[in-house]
Amino acid sequence: MEIFQVVGTMVCTCRHPGIEQLPLRVLQDRTGKLQVAVDTIGSCKGNWVFTISGSAARMALEDPSLLTDLTIGGVIDSWEE
Amino acid sequence: MKIFKVVKPLVATNRIPDMEQKRLQVVQDGSSLMVAVDSVGAAPGDWVLCVGSSAAREAAGSKSYPSDLTIVGIIDNWVDPR
Repeated sequence: MEIFQVVGTMVCTCRHPGIEQLPLRVLQDRTGKLQVAVDTIGSCKGNWVFTISGSAARMALEDPSLLTDLTIGGVIDSWEE
Repeated sequence: MKIFKVVKPLVATNRIPDMEQKRLQVVQDGSSLMVAVDSVGAAPGDWVLCVGSSAAREAAGSKSYPSDLTIVGIIDNWVDPR
């Protein structure tokens, strides 16, 4: 799992049917690199979160047949570098 | 498998239900920080052995557990050769 900060939500209307209407968040890692992850717990802008990647990202969803390779696993209660 | 050093426990109250209340640790490899599920009870400062991919899911308890990095061992003696 990796650590990211939420920088915003992503609106994406035209999607593959395999990712349905899953909420997406734009995340930034400590080096400034951006990634997009599925969010099922309701994280907010500014939150530090940890993400699950690979096939485990699909296991993290209620329906493992949905197409994702990065899912937010939880919001970190307090984070300092 | 990869060698990491345990930095500190990670507290995340709001997490996906599938992760249950398993312990998480912040682990360090060089300058990069990762989060791992702790299945052995490591402490900050310990050098640990971690598995990834589907082995991480099984090591964390079941094949459907959503983990991509799980601590599977505490190394008795480790001197970083770098």
